[in-house]
Order: sequence, then C-alpha cells, then structure tokens
Amino acid sequence: MDEADVKSVVKLEQVTKVYRQGAVDVHALRGLDLTVGKGEFVAICGPSGSGKTTALNLIGALDRTTSGEVWLEGNNLNRLNRQQLSRLRRDRIGFVFQAYNLIPVLTAFENAEAVLALQGGSAARRQERVMALLAEVGLKGMEHRRPHELSGGQQQRVAIVRAIAAEPAVVLADEPTANVDSETADNLLEIMGRLNQERGVTFIFSTHDSRVMDRARRLVRMVDGRVASDSKS
Amino acid sequence: MNIFKMAWRNVWRNTRRTTVTIAAMTLALMVEVLYSGLVLGYFQGLEDDLLDLEVGDVQIFAPDYLDTPSIYSAIQDPVPLLATLNDMGYPACPRLLGGALAAADESSAGVALRGVEVDLEKEVTLIDENVADGVWLDSADKRGVVIGRRLARTLAVEPGDEIVLLTQAADGSIAHDLFRIRGVLLGIADGTDRTAVYMNGEAFRELMEFPEGVHQVIVRRPQDVDLKSAAQAIGQVATGLDVKTWKELMPLVATMLESTRGMIVIIFLVVYIAIAILVLNAMLMAVFERIREFGILKAIGVGPFYVFGLILVEAGIQTLVALFSGLVLALPGMWYLSEVGIDVGSLGGMNVMGLAMRPVWNGIYTLDTVIVPIILLVVIVFCAVLYPALKAALIRPVQAMHHR
Ligand SMILES: Nc1ncnc2c1ncn2[C@@H]1O[C@H](COP(=O)(O)OP(=O)(O)OP(=O)(O)O)[C@@H](O)[C@H]1O
Ligand SMILES: [Mg+2]
Repeated sequence: MDEADVKSVVKLEQVTKVYRQGAVDVHALRGLDLTVGKGEFVAICGPSGSGKTTALNLIGALDRTTSGEVWLEGNNLNRLNRQQLSRLRRDRIGFVFQAYNLIPVLTAFENAEAVLALQGGSAARRQERVMALLAEVGLKGMEHRRPHELSGGQQQRVAIVRAIAAEPAVVLADEPTANVDSETADNLLEIMGRLNQERGVTFIFSTHDSRVMDRARRLVRMVDGRVASDSKS
Repeated sequence: MNIFKMAWRNVWRNTRRTTVTIAAMTLALMVEVLYSGLVLGYFQGLEDDLLDLEVGDVQIFAPDYLDTPSIYSAIQDPVPLLATLNDMGYPACPRLLGGALAAADESSAGVALRGVEVDLEKEVTLIDENVADGVWLDSADKRGVVIGRRLARTLAVEPGDEIVLLTQAADGSIAHDLFRIRGVLLGIADGTDRTAVYMNGEAFRELMEFPEGVHQVIVRRPQDVDLKSAAQAIGQVATGLDVKTWKELMPLVATMLESTRGMIVIIFLVVYIAIAILVLNAMLMAVFERIREFGILKAIGVGPFYVFGLILVEAGIQTLVALFSGLVLALPGMWYLSEVGIDVGSLGGMNVMGLAMRPVWNGIYTLDTVIVPIILLVVIVFCAVLYPALKAALIRPVQAMHHR
C-alpha cells in the first residue's frame, strides 16, 4: 500500500498516561506516537505491562490521556465531553474484549444487533444486516442462542459482528484470542482478516500470541509505554 | 434493546433472589393492608360505640349548662324542637341530668342520674342493646334503673337488688327513694361505667321535683351529612341554645381517634424499612455481579440514563409482581377480618383510652387502607433502589472491565 493512500483514522501524539496507585505513580504510557490508516490491520504486541490495553482504551475513548493528543478521524478526543465520547464510541468504534463480551440475557442476534439498535433505524434493515454478518462468520442457525449456549470462539464471533455491524472507523480488540484455543484463534483471525480485506474494516488489536503477530500486516511492538518497533509485512 | 425486555430477563436471572425479594415485598404489603384495615376498624369501632352509646353526633343544651351544670339550666320546652329535628331526619331524644348519692347495703357512691324517655331513646342510641346483665329500662317500670358496670361493682349490687338514691331536689328539699336494679351495662366509657344511673324520665321528675324542661338533647345525623353541616343545620332550628358536636364535647378523644392515621403510617414505615434494606441489598448484589456487563454496555455507547432506567425497571417489575400477589393474597384475609373479625374474648370490654373495646374486632377495608400501603411500598422501593441504580449508571467502562 502506498504511503499517500493511507488516510489516518487514529493518531496518537506524545501520549502519556499516569495511573495513581496509592502514593505511587504508574507511568503506563510515556510518550506514545502512533498513526493508523484506514483499512489497516495492526497488531500491538509487547511484554505484559507495556501499555497495550491502556493505549487501546485511550483510542477507544474509554479513558483520558494524562498528556498528549488522541485523534479519531480528525476529532481530538480531549476536546469532547463524556456524552460526546459515548456517542463517538457508539457510532465510530467497535469493541471486542478479551472475554465475556456479550450480555448474558440477550441472544446472539440481540447482542450482535446491540450497537445498531442503539443507533436506532429500521428493525428490518438491522435484521437483514446482522443475520447476513452472523452467517458470514459462520453462526447461521445459532442466532437465538444465549451466550452460555455458545463456545468461547462463537461468543467472540458474535462480538466481532457487534463491533463491525455499524461500520465503525476502527475496531479495537484487546487480546481477542487470549481465551480460546489455537484453532479457534486461527479461525477468528481468519474472519477478522477477511472482514479487513473484503470490507476494509480497520482493526487494531493487542496480542501475546505469536501466530496472531504472524498474521498481522503491521506489527507494533511496545516496550515501557512507547513504540519500540513498527514493521509492515 | 428494549429496556423492559432486558429488565424482565434480568429479573429472572437469579430466580431465588428474585423470589425471596418478591415474597418479602408481598408479605409486607399483605401485612400492611390487613393491619391498616384492622387499626382503622378498631378505632372506627371505638368511635361508633362512643357515638352510638354515649354522645350521639350532636348535643343541645341550655346556653349556660356546659359552663355551670345545674338542674336549673334546662331547655324549657323541648317538644317542638324534638319534633322539628325528627322531621328534618335528625333523630333526637331528650335527657334529664342530675347528681345523687347511691347507697346499697354497705357501700355508697356519687352517681350521675340520666333520665331518659325510654321509647324515644331507642330511636336515637343503642344503649338499650348494651346491657351485660339483666334488662334495659321499661317505661312501665318506674322504679327500675340500669347502672354502669363499675358502679355495680362499687356498690356490690346485681340485677334485682335495691339501691337508695339520695339527692337535693329542684325545690331545695332533700329527696330520696328506693329503686331496683334492672340491668348492668357493658363497658362503654370511663365516666359512664363508674357513675351512670339510667332511669325513667318520669321517675327522675318525681324524685327531683322537676316537672318541666330537659337538660340535654342527643341528636344523630343522617349518614350522608357530615358533622359540621349537621351541627349547622341543627343550630338553625335550636335557636338560643348551645349546640355542640361530639368532637367539641370530647376534644381529646376526637384528636386521638383522628391521629390514628399517623400511627398506622409509623408502623408502616417500620415494616417497610426492613423491606427497603432487603431490596437495597438484593439490588446492590444484582448490580455488583453485573459490573462488567454495565462496563460493556457503557463501552458500546449505552448512556447512563438507560442503565439507571434499567435498574429502576427491574425493581419496578418485582414490585408490580409483589403488588399483585400481595393484594390477591390479602383478599381472603380482608374478607375474613371485615366479615367475621377477631374474637378478642376476655379482652372485650377492656378499657382503652377511656373507651371500652368491642368483643369482636373487625377490620374495615376501604380504598384508602389498600392504596396507602401500595403507595408507601412503591416509594420505599424507589428510594432503596436509587443508590444501586446510580452506582450502575455511573460505572466507568475501564474500571468495570478491571472488576472481577
Ligand atoms: N487502572 C489502573 N490503575 C493503576 N495502574 C494501572 C491501571 N491499568 C493499568 N495499570 C498499569 O499500567 C501499566 C500498563 O498496563 P496495561 O494494562 O496497559 O498493560 P498491557 O500491555 O495491556 O499488559 P498485559 O499484556 O498484561 O495486558 C501496568 O504497569 C499496569 O499495572
Ligand atoms: Mg492488556
């Protein structure tokens, strides 16, 4: 991909994040710079405590920086209030968490539909789109199951559908394969890769899994709250 | 995500906890409803007895009688007044009042003589039905008297025994005569129990040398006329006389009876505060075990109002179920207490606030006795659920995800 074609979706500039833990300050991020373009498929790796989750939380407008700026599609997140951030998360960001992503009392379909339902809009169109996406990730026929009737991998697939259904600017996934076996992890990566290529969904995920890193087309390595290396394959 | 659908499913996630919560609310509501009807019935019973047996609704006196009760302060010509009142639909009967000393074999006591017109009295009060031992007065039996139950004990007399009444007659002479006890009354009110001697009006006039006039007229009001209006209407025809409602005559008792609502509410609060603590605990548990879920909801863009509303609706659903089951379960009890009542047995006649208790205690169930407990339950549940709901609504996604 040509450098000029890459429009930046996510941009972090000299971001620091300090957590106060009792009397000590924990410096989770120490001047993080990162730019992610549209349609990229980025894996963030690094040792435990290097700040991967913290970075994803900041990009996902779930938390505020201590200093530095975070832009999402040109919006400076520091300038938005709580309600605007909530709206932004709903409309422009998809989340896939490590585990227990789904609301237990809702069916697979209802979970997958959640973001679209929050946005409002016609139920018929929602139904059509979500059913198609569920079929695409291989969950046809399981739409009415509750999360506890699904395997971990199936649950993650529902979460992926929920994350991409509203066509967000970026999908953030914090160790999405950490709680599933390697075969399931391959399958989830395959699905995310396909959604990335066919639909142009931008993915940023963190991982410890070397196989996941192999699949990523860009690998960002973090150490001590900073980017240590950034390589594209 | 329909908030009601989601709340409904959440409510039945932990069936046991939900069942216990609902059961407790149901029980509390049931108890409150039955209890409030019983208390209302109890005090209504006291009031009814007091009015039926003792004071009536309104009394008429000569202008100066209440200030200085004296045999000479009489309503001179009561007959036209009584007739007018009766025509207006206000049953009325006259009474003659005086003091005397009653003596039996060994003992004596100061007594209050109440001369009645036996036939008229029956139309106005129920005292004739309130005889414990013996029988009520008879217009043919001029020497017969009926006395209060504690007076009977003081004098150690029973029906059939004789007493001497000693008094100063209207002409200033000393008067005395022999009378026979016809009956002893059931407990009514303190004063009556200790001092009342009911006798034939004519016997009173003979004993007291008091040929004309009456001291008191007892008036009842029609059911659909309230006390104030009744007193006003009576005042219009009883010109130049002193017209007093029972509340004016017995202000203390009236206030006490009126304050019962406050007493009911206090007991309500005690029972309901226990329920509030239980609901608070259950909802806090329900919120804390779902912190992660609320975090996810907030992360994907659900607003705090939705989450707040969700918890409120969850509590609301449980309250609604409890309202329904509580009322359905209370129905047989309400029927039983109002129709059959509780036989208080030996407690019957016990003196409470100077008034005698009825032998059978009935509940009174009106819309009020049901609505007040319902409203209070709803309010208290709302208060109890406020904190858990706020807690859930204000959860920050990042912290919530950390929560295990
Ligand atoms: N809420 C918090 N309060 C205090 N310190 C925190 C908090 N969250 C993270 N930290 C600290 O910030 C640093 C970075 O944490 P972070 O979770 O971003 O690391 P990570 O790269 O995601 O690690 P892992 O691979 O274990 O998930 C760590 O030292 C962590 O202890
Ligand atoms: Mg992490």
